[in-house]
Amino acid sequence: MTCDSPDHRHCLELFEKLSEYIDQELEPEARRDIEAHVAECLACFACLQTLKQTIALCQKAGDQPVPAAFSRKLHAMLQTTTKPPLP
Amino acid sequence: MTAAPPSNHPKIIDNDTELIQAINSGQIEKFPELVRRYEQKLYNFGRRMCGDAADAEDLVQDTFLNVFRYLKDFRHETKFKNWLYRVAASTCIKKRRRSKFAPERELSLEEFVPGGEPGSVAQVPDWAQIPLEKLLNEELVQTLNQAILSLPEPYRLVVVLRDMEGFSTEETAQIMNISGANVKVRLHRARLFLREKLKGYFAHDV
Repeated sequence: MTCDSPDHRHCLELFEKLSEYIDQELEPEARRDIEAHVAECLACFACLQTLKQTIALCQKAGDQPVPAAFSRKLHAMLQTTTKPPLP
Repeated sequence: MTAAPPSNHPKIIDNDTELIQAINSGQIEKFPELVRRYEQKLYNFGRRMCGDAADAEDLVQDTFLNVFRYLKDFRHETKFKNWLYRVAASTCIKKRRRSKFAPERELSLEEFVPGGEPGSVAQVPDWAQIPLEKLLNEELVQTLNQAILSLPEPYRLVVVLRDMEGFSTEETAQIMNISGANVKVRLHRARLFLREKLKGYFAHDV
C-alpha cells in the first residue's frame, strides 16, 4: 500500500476487506478496526473513497429502454411459441 | 432449470406469484405480462453481460423461452426475479462458452494493491469527491460499461448482479450457485478492477 509508514501491516489486511466494509457485511470489531485505520492512513482512506465512488457509479449507471422494434419482435415470437394447442 | 427434488423450503410470495400461478394453471395468454415486467431489466442485464445489442436481444429471447419451458418447475423457493436471473445467467454462460469473446483469467488481489514509494504523498482524488450527479455523463457511463465488459466473465457477472441489478450477496450466491464467500471475493476484485479503469479515465493516482 502507499501508506506513509512502509511497515504498516494493517494496510494489506484491511485492503482485502474494504468491499465488505462498504457493504456493511463486517462484524463490529472489524468495522471499528477499519475506521480507526483510515482515520490515520490517508492512502487507505483515498482507496476507500475511490472504491465507494466506483460502486456508486455502477449503481447509478441507469438502464436503457428496450428498443421498440425488438420488444415487438419478442412479443410476436413469444405469442407464436406460447400459443395453446388447438383442441 | 431442471426439476428440483421436493423440499421443505417455505414458499416465497412476491408480486409475481399470482401471475405465475395463473400461467401455470393454464392461462398461458398471461405469459406476455410476465415478459413485460422484466424485459427491460433483462435487456440491460444482457447489454452489460454481452455488450452488443444483438447478443443482448438473443439473451432476452432465449431466457424467456427457457422461462416458458421451465416455469412449471419453479417452486417459489426464491423470488421469481432471482430464479429468472438464474435462468438468464445460465443462458448467458452457455452463449459465452460458444463464443471466443470472453477472456478467462483469475484476478488476483495483488494486482490491485496500489504501489508507490514509501512516503509518497497520497490524497483523495477529485473524482471521488465530486457528487455523482455532476460526475455522471454519457462518456463516463460508456467507459464504465467498457470496463465491465473487459472483466473476465465470473467477475463481470458478480459485479453486474450485486452493484447494477441490486441483488444481495446471498441472492447473488444463489443465482450463480456459488458460496457467499466466493461472491465477496470476486466482487471485491471486480470492483478494484473497475476502480483502476476509472482511475485511468480520470488520470489520477491514488
